[in-house]
Amino acid sequence: MANFILKRLVYMFITLLIIATITFFLMKLLPGSPLTNQEKLSPAQQQLILDKYGLNDPLPVQYVNYMTNLFKGDLGLSFQYDNRPVTKMIGERIGPSAYLGFQAVLFGTIVGIVLGILAALKQNSVMDYAATTIAVLGISIPSFVFAGLLQYYLAVKYPIFPVAAWEGFEYTVLPTIALSVFVIATVARYMRSELLEVLSSDYIMLARAKGVSSAAIMVKHALRNALIPIITLLGPLAVNIMTGSLVIERIFGIPGIGEQFVRSIMTNDFTVIMGITLFYSVLFIFIVFIVDILYGVIDPRIRLSGGKK
Amino acid sequence: MNVENPDKKIQLQKDLFQPVDKRASQSEKISRPSLNFWQDAWLRLKGNKGAIVGLILITIITFMAIFGPSMNKYTYKQQNISHAKLPPKIAALENVDWLPFDGKDKDGFDMYEAKNVKEYYWFGTDDLGRDLWTRTWYGTRISIYIGVLAAVIDFLIGIAYGGVSGFYGGRVDNVMQRIIEILMGIPHLIVVILFILVFEPGIFSITMAMVITGWVNMARIVRGQFLKLKTQEFVLASRTLGASGSRLIWKHLMPNVMGPIIVTTMFTIPSAIFTEAFLSFIGLGIRPPEASLGSLVNDGFKSLQMYPHMLIIPSVIISLLILSFNLLADGLRDALDPKMRK
Amino acid sequence: MKKLLDVQNLHVSFDTHAGEVKAVRGVNFHLDKGETLAIVGESGSGKSVTTKALMRLIPNPPGRIKEGKMLFEGRDLVKISEKEMEKLRGKDISMIFQDPMTSLNPTMTVGKQVMEPLIKHQKMNKEAARKRAVELLALVGLPNPEARIKQYPHQFSGGQRQRVVIAIALACNPKILIADEPTTALDVTIQAQILELMKELQKKIETSIIFITHDLGVVANVADRVAVMYGGQIVETGTVDEIFYDPRHPYTWGLLSSMPSLDTDEETELQAIPGTPPDLLNPPKGDAFALRSNYALKIDLEQEPPVYQVSPTHFVKSWLLHPDAPAFEPPVNVQQNLRPMPNNFDKPALFEEVR
Repeated sequence: MANFILKRLVYMFITLLIIATITFFLMKLLPGSPLTNQEKLSPAQQQLILDKYGLNDPLPVQYVNYMTNLFKGDLGLSFQYDNRPVTKMIGERIGPSAYLGFQAVLFGTIVGIVLGILAALKQNSVMDYAATTIAVLGISIPSFVFAGLLQYYLAVKYPIFPVAAWEGFEYTVLPTIALSVFVIATVARYMRSELLEVLSSDYIMLARAKGVSSAAIMVKHALRNALIPIITLLGPLAVNIMTGSLVIERIFGIPGIGEQFVRSIMTNDFTVIMGITLFYSVLFIFIVFIVDILYGVIDPRIRLSGGKK
Repeated sequence: MNVENPDKKIQLQKDLFQPVDKRASQSEKISRPSLNFWQDAWLRLKGNKGAIVGLILITIITFMAIFGPSMNKYTYKQQNISHAKLPPKIAALENVDWLPFDGKDKDGFDMYEAKNVKEYYWFGTDDLGRDLWTRTWYGTRISIYIGVLAAVIDFLIGIAYGGVSGFYGGRVDNVMQRIIEILMGIPHLIVVILFILVFEPGIFSITMAMVITGWVNMARIVRGQFLKLKTQEFVLASRTLGASGSRLIWKHLMPNVMGPIIVTTMFTIPSAIFTEAFLSFIGLGIRPPEASLGSLVNDGFKSLQMYPHMLIIPSVIISLLILSFNLLADGLRDALDPKMRK
Repeated sequence: MKKLLDVQNLHVSFDTHAGEVKAVRGVNFHLDKGETLAIVGESGSGKSVTTKALMRLIPNPPGRIKEGKMLFEGRDLVKISEKEMEKLRGKDISMIFQDPMTSLNPTMTVGKQVMEPLIKHQKMNKEAARKRAVELLALVGLPNPEARIKQYPHQFSGGQRQRVVIAIALACNPKILIADEPTTALDVTIQAQILELMKELQKKIETSIIFITHDLGVVANVADRVAVMYGGQIVETGTVDEIFYDPRHPYTWGLLSSMPSLDTDEETELQAIPGTPPDLLNPPKGDAFALRSNYALKIDLEQEPPVYQVSPTHFVKSWLLHPDAPAFEPPVNVQQNLRPMPNNFDKPALFEEVR
């Protein structure tokens, strides 16, 4: 197990180095400069600013500086927001994004599991068809389309919820639902097929042959075995929540990281784009890592065979 | 239990107790027609309602994407500011109350009368007075085109990379796998976004951006299948009979990998359509006056409160499009490779 | 002798989208106290379905018991409620499955799985159940049971897992143990060990065993009586001696002559049974085996044969025993082993009409 973790850590590190390098050079290739939008500045003033940010240094020097700063946890300064440190900007905006993300994953996973169980319990029943339909729709309708329709029908046409802003729980309802449809759909689908597979397995038959009641079989034998693989979904779901947040936060006016990212893309704010890209990558890699470890801890087959798959 | 009951004994004619002259062939007769893999898969697919609905929807949407833009006199970029932001109006349906095709806006105000417009805009117009019917189907065309193109390129790269990696195995495979592992560690959308930031948005750059990360998935599937099949007896048998590498690949391995490959390709199309729409939505997609379903949805958002038709129509079509591809892909997966289910 | 279990005219069907698959079509058999009944037949003959029906473990839908009675100590298992059935399962009737690799829950310790029926049926507390589980595992010959009950199934070998499954099945001293091909998935040496273990345990706890197998060698080793199944019906039953030394049904002949034995010399060819088992979606008219049989009569294609009784314990469902039927010689390698049976009637008597 320790070996496995160590190997994974090395991989994570290499991956991050590569991402940082790619991001850096791609940013250098960008058409437009961060000063494109600031016509007021004279060429001399522009040069002064470029010097100040080290943007006139030869590329290798810039690269080395960038990487060194990165190791110190310094992501540089924003061009657009009065030279504010990117780390600080991310720090300020992490709250709403994290809150929304957790709420959506939690809500989506619970609803998805319940739907999946109901569908599997009575295969080919009305409930099963309903859950399957929800699952296909949830996977097919893009989150921003769903968010748009939610906003139009539940906030504009019938003002049950506020349209957009970040001022309390009622403001989180629509974005949470919009973010979690995909989670619900994925989890429900997976849960249904896992549970059906488990329920038709020999060991469930043996448990029944032992005289264990249906309810006890469900709780003690089937659910545990069906739930374990759901953990592997957390990685892809986290990615989906992250990308979903880019558009959902914009639609519902939530001051999160995603909204900042889209805004920075539109204003060519290099350092912020790089910073958030790296932040997302670290988050993603970290979640995948945690999921692998978690899976190993929970599933005895992997736990005891030393992290082999 | 039944007790012996001799008087109930039926009288049977003696000649019934003659041996039957029979041949072994009779017992070996196969009662069902023999079907090859594809015929069998087609039968299974036909039995899947969802897949058939998906197939029909795809056919209709594709038909409209090809012929829809030329069904009226407007072009996708022709502007007419005086006709801006008109709600949908369709001649035959304008008097049906519950349908939103009467040319009235959300407050029931007839915009066509107010602006003195004689023409009918079937899906209404946008804020520059462009006909949304034409733009919607034109955008659908672009979306499908990007989706299919990305899937085809993924397919080609994925098969080549995964095939080489899986077929040769050993050190080659080892190195190629490490590269894949690292690529898998990078969040796809981030790469796509960075790529588009560098290369100006357009159909080609958007497709390439998706391919850059998309092929990895296909390569993994092909490799996995190759590794699995390679060790199976029928391949070993062919090898011992002296079959060449290319014969092994094309005659034995490929036909058996086709199922999962087709299924994966079918799932790539809707996800590419989605990614394109997503990029358009955050302002990195197709630039006006070109249109894609994603950019139309994005435009629609800007006037959500007053002119919901601009949002709802492209939203419904993109959802239907992705839905129908997913339904068909689901059906294909069940039909071609039941084991891939999950 | 008192019948512990009496199955009468059992019909089990599965509703598939292609139609009703009649997997078991009117099966009659009984089980006496302490005896071992072997049910033999090729795959798809309905032997597994019959025993799963006994435990009411047929998944419904698509499967259902269409008709018939399963009298266990006078109670009809077809009619009792699911709750009552739960009380019987694992206590009075228990079961061992074919593949030990998949029949244990991979995420539950072996100890817990053995303790489950003890806690459920014998109302033991956890501590008592744990003690008993250790005893049981020792009984089935697992070394170091104290330590092993804390382990998970994947830490056991196939043979060890089957021992665990047997321990679970025997936990509450069941009156009937159903063993569904318990040795098929195991190595030959392990097979012998497991068979020995089962015989030994049967003596200790005086249970009756229904043993399903397609391996006639195993049958000769363990069974008192044999029922031969074909196409969802029992075509011949008798004591082991009767089936091996005086078989009457052409299908039994086929089974026996396809089995090599030590006295099979190089000259004798092993006879394969031609063709494939009948399609139970549309069972053939008349005798289901007729199409594959070299001894088929015209009537076999028309009418289902009745059951004839050859001795008090030997029943055959075939037109060949009808007085008008021509006398056929069984295949050579069956003939070599024929012996006169002391209990045989002078001539076969009609036992039962086709219903």
